[in-house]
Amino acid sequence: MAGDALWYEAAHVVGITNALNTVADAFEPLPGMTTIEPIDEGTATGGLALVFDEIRSFYARSDVPIAFRLLGHDPGYLGDFFAAVRRAFEDNRLSRRLKEALAFAVSLTSRSRFGAPFHLGEMRRLGVSERGVIEVLGVTQMFSSYTKIADTLQLESDMRDIAPVDRSPAPSGRPAA
Amino acid sequence: MPTVRLRDAAEYPESAQALFELSKSWFGYEFREPPAMSRVMAWDPAFGGPHGRAMKRAMAPGEWTRGEKEMVAAVVSGVNACTY
Repeated sequence: MAGDALWYEAAHVVGITNALNTVADAFEPLPGMTTIEPIDEGTATGGLALVFDEIRSFYARSDVPIAFRLLGHDPGYLGDFFAAVRRAFEDNRLSRRLKEALAFAVSLTSRSRFGAPFHLGEMRRLGVSERGVIEVLGVTQMFSSYTKIADTLQLESDMRDIAPVDRSPAPSGRPAA
Repeated sequence: MPTVRLRDAAEYPESAQALFELSKSWFGYEFREPPAMSRVMAWDPAFGGPHGRAMKRAMAPGEWTRGEKEMVAAVVSGVNACTY
């Protein structure tokens, strides 16, 4: 896990996962509560139908997850948002499988009612075994403990120097002067 | 600033020194003093011992590598906004 590039990718996964969960969790349809109605897939036409097709293809499923259908009221926004999601999650330096594990950990930690089962499903679809799921669960749980102990005692980081600094430039950029 | 006074390693009993050695080998880094979290966990070995063993078991290579698990741990720490 050396080099900053991997960590930039991980951070993008964390951010976009939180973004997806924020909308999906806030507007989960509940009886008698005001909400934003998700777009009915059957009514989608034109550009929206194309984006919905891309989403179904990316997740290899027959329906569009509710988080994306909520955003479908503005097809242009959904198109850009999904492009960012796809870029963040596709195989790159980190595998899509690991990225789904990271997203699962994010969702557990933020107690996302949408994200936890959604990314659990994606992990399984991508071949993660039950043992692999439990491993992610264990790491998430243990570091949910350590972080709260550290915060309660307001511990100051003494770990900052243990990783070497990556001096490489930004992609296609120039080395630092 | 910590809400407790973190004791130097020398203030801990002999039994804790073994835990500090384990901590040093776990991180593969020569800390001037054992990490603050290691010293916190050594305060009550009846808690820190099993907690540490559960952590090592969770972080051991399995379907995921230690490196991949460290990334999961970093993500969890980030979401919890933990600067430690």
